[in-house]
Amino acid sequence: MIIPVRCFTCGKLIGDVWEEFARRVKAGENPGEVLDSLGIKRYCCRRMLLSHVEIIDEVLRFYEEAEKRKEAKVYY
Amino acid sequence: MWSVEIVEVEVLEKDERNVRLLIRGVDVPFVNALRRTIISEVPCMAIDEVVMIENSSILQDEIIALRLGLIPLKTDLDSYNLPQECPCKSEFGCNLCRVTLTLDVEAKEETRTVYSGELKSENPEIVPVSDKIPIIKLARGQKLRLEAYARLGKGKNHAKWQPVSMCTYKYFPKIEVLSKCDACGKCVEICPRKVLAKTENKIEVRNLMACTLCQDCVEVCPQNPPAIKVEHEEDTFIFSLESTNALPPERILTEAIKILDKQFNEFEEQIKVEKGEES
Ligand code: SF4
Ligand code: SF4
Ligand SMILES: [Zn+2]
Repeated sequence: MIIPVRCFTCGKLIGDVWEEFARRVKAGENPGEVLDSLGIKRYCCRRMLLSHVEIIDEVLRFYEEAEKRKEAKVYY
Repeated sequence: MWSVEIVEVEVLEKDERNVRLLIRGVDVPFVNALRRTIISEVPCMAIDEVVMIENSSILQDEIIALRLGLIPLKTDLDSYNLPQECPCKSEFGCNLCRVTLTLDVEAKEETRTVYSGELKSENPEIVPVSDKIPIIKLARGQKLRLEAYARLGKGKNHAKWQPVSMCTYKYFPKIEVLSKCDACGKCVEICPRKVLAKTENKIEVRNLMACTLCQDCVEVCPQNPPAIKVEHEEDTFIFSLESTNALPPERILTEAIKILDKQFNEFEEQIKVEKGEES
């Protein structure tokens, strides 16, 4: 759903680097190199970021649309 | 009786989060006790109870509470007590064993992320180690209001109270290249950690610390018996520790030694009492 706060296996904090990781990978950088530069060394922590899908963004779209509709109703 | 030998500790690497030590003159039971004490006995601060006042977000209360609990908090061991040792004897806690953090957020304009930096702590010393941990995302109109209570706790009760995200030791390797080695270079090629190097007609050990004692180099050696020997020192260990930043790594170590000392004393007392009862 949303990026976990810590690595499931070792408990290292990884939530705080997700946004930078996602942004840089989207910009075309090599994910492995980004992880190295963020100091994520162990493969348990690396898979947390590499395999994550931020589904909450997809779910939130429904709520955004609902809000827009409400607004449109008030307008007309 | 147990004879006390000289224990030597050398710091190999150190920064604000990690330490790597070379410990000489101890045995496996001792380093393992140290490791286990660090993981399960050294206390640190974490959110333990959450009162939800309002939650219209799309994540359930429990999930948000769990996420809050996992956020590592900067810990002040000197001014706070473990709840079970606190003189207040109250289940709810007092100023000496509890810190209140509050969160009051609303997405007014558009979808937004709520970060750990938005948690307001009553004690400015006890705050999340990072301000950038996403707690939740809110769509417009959604609200999250809560009060969270952080307490000291131990890793044996919940992993959120573990002060380390890695704490391991390994044997110190001992590599010997025998004189019958003809420098064929096979062991240099196979070593996954690039420990060995070939110089002219000799095999040299370049990076002894990196050796994992995997024995690949021994198995690949064409000579019989192999011309290379990989063993480990019986009383020397490489001890590495990575803190979650709740406590500085050196504080974790000193605290662990203190706890271990206390437990040994208690154990000794108990043995004495039982012996006294017998006679
Ligand atoms: S034991 Fe393994 S890591 Fe150590 S030197 Fe031999 S091949 Fe390399
Ligand atoms: S594989 Fe054996 S013989 Fe060949 S260089 Fe290594 S130790 Fe020497
Ligand atoms: Zn990990």
